[in-house]
Amino acid sequence: MSCDSVSKLIPLYYYGELTPEEEDRLDQHLHECADCTAAVERQRALAAALDRRQVEAPPLLLDECRADLMAAISSGAAHAEKPAKGPWTLFLEAMGVTFMGFGRMRQPIGALALVVLGVLLGRLSGTIPGLSPASTLPSDNVISNVRSVKAESDGRVQVSFDEIRRREISGRADDPDIRKFILAGSRGDNPAVRVESVGLLKSQTDFPQAVDALLNSIVGDPVDSVRMEAMEALKPLAGDPKVTKVLSQVLLTDANPRVRMQAIDLMATHRDDSVVGVFQSLMQREDDSVVRLKASKVLKDWNASIGTF
Amino acid sequence: MAQDAAGAVGARVSPQVDSLIRAAQRGDQEAFEQLVRAYDQSVLRLAMNLLRSPEDARDVYQEAFLRVYRNLQTFRFDCSFHTWLYRIVTNICLDQLRKRKVRKEESAVVETTDGPIDRMETFEEEGAAGDPERAMWNRELKGRIESALEELTPRERMVFELRHYQGLRLRNIGEMLGTTEEAAKNCLFRATQKMRGVLGDFV
Repeated sequence: MSCDSVSKLIPLYYYGELTPEEEDRLDQHLHECADCTAAVERQRALAAALDRRQVEAPPLLLDECRADLMAAISSGAAHAEKPAKGPWTLFLEAMGVTFMGFGRMRQPIGALALVVLGVLLGRLSGTIPGLSPASTLPSDNVISNVRSVKAESDGRVQVSFDEIRRREISGRADDPDIRKFILAGSRGDNPAVRVESVGLLKSQTDFPQAVDALLNSIVGDPVDSVRMEAMEALKPLAGDPKVTKVLSQVLLTDANPRVRMQAIDLMATHRDDSVVGVFQSLMQREDDSVVRLKASKVLKDWNASIGTF
Repeated sequence: MAQDAAGAVGARVSPQVDSLIRAAQRGDQEAFEQLVRAYDQSVLRLAMNLLRSPEDARDVYQEAFLRVYRNLQTFRFDCSFHTWLYRIVTNICLDQLRKRKVRKEESAVVETTDGPIDRMETFEEEGAAGDPERAMWNRELKGRIESALEELTPRERMVFELRHYQGLRLRNIGEMLGTTEEAAKNCLFRATQKMRGVLGDFV
């Protein structure tokens, strides 16, 4: 067995994918070859390094996925029913809901309708093998987007498309069902819906899910105004260790200086040693002079040194 | 995390799972729910690891199990349910991997029952408490691993993920991806070579 042929077998050897005969031959070669033995060790080291990258699906995410799935099934969405109206009709009707009675109940209805829009225009994509298009698709332009068209070996064609469906619910913002939609809205595709949803979560910070959603928006939302709105919503919890931890991360990693400034404002309301340490780290890496100035002022107010020694 | 039914990799379906499938095919909603719960942890874990985004993982989960719900009648027990399910899941994930642009701003926060945790922070701090050099090395290693994985084609990425992280046999992986065991072996070899090339003297 040559070293060249062995090197091709090493990954399979490591993963136990060789036949017993191949494995015996390779073992024999390894006894006699220090270079190939070192290559096996490098394969082990590579695998060990990659092991550390694995993430587990968080339990909360699993629960949410299960709830979403069962809700979709029980609402009939899983059957890919034929929508009665086209997307524009649905959209215009949704806008009608938004502005109906606007003068009378501007904020509650506006906010609710935005959430409704975000949730009701949810994506539903899937394939319906075995059904002919003529029998399942309406003649108007209900199909918003064909995702894929694939020829099957038996001559059939499998099509995957998006379908827009709409449902409406209404209720108080603190209603558990409504809150579920607001939470979904806070992580939806539409930034306007996310801003509104995050704003509505402001009054719900006594619910851990609302706090988690806000913390995730602060760190994960790509839109600056959503992150800032989420920070504003968490103002009452500014001294909470979990909030402080996330704000520290924002302060050290967020690309927008305005967001970092807002994080400083919130963190400056409660002094503790870990916050001092974060501000000191910030002073070592911050490029923006205004942010530096703000952080240094807080440190000075707290009689803390600007740098670490 | 407790091992779910997907742990019975490559095996024929167990009698319990078999009866759940038959009940679900008859329209028993509770049986379908139990069936989902038997496999969904590993599906979500696969999607999370491949896509690194709770939102995308959630989309994969929803789409996969809705497809299962709609098409369960067509399952004829001629392969294991796990293989059948993973054909659906891997197709959706491969579509996502092919279509997505690498999102630099991808959230580093994962929700847990204890609230969000920072994966990067966990990685960087591992074994590096009070050791800035080690922390910096960890950070560099993490960056290299991400680069190494980005070098892989979606198919190489998938084969590597299923073999290394999910512990599936290459024969099963080939079956799931509609290819041969030999092709899956080649894929794994190429993936390993590419990663070794990028990680270089780090490992």
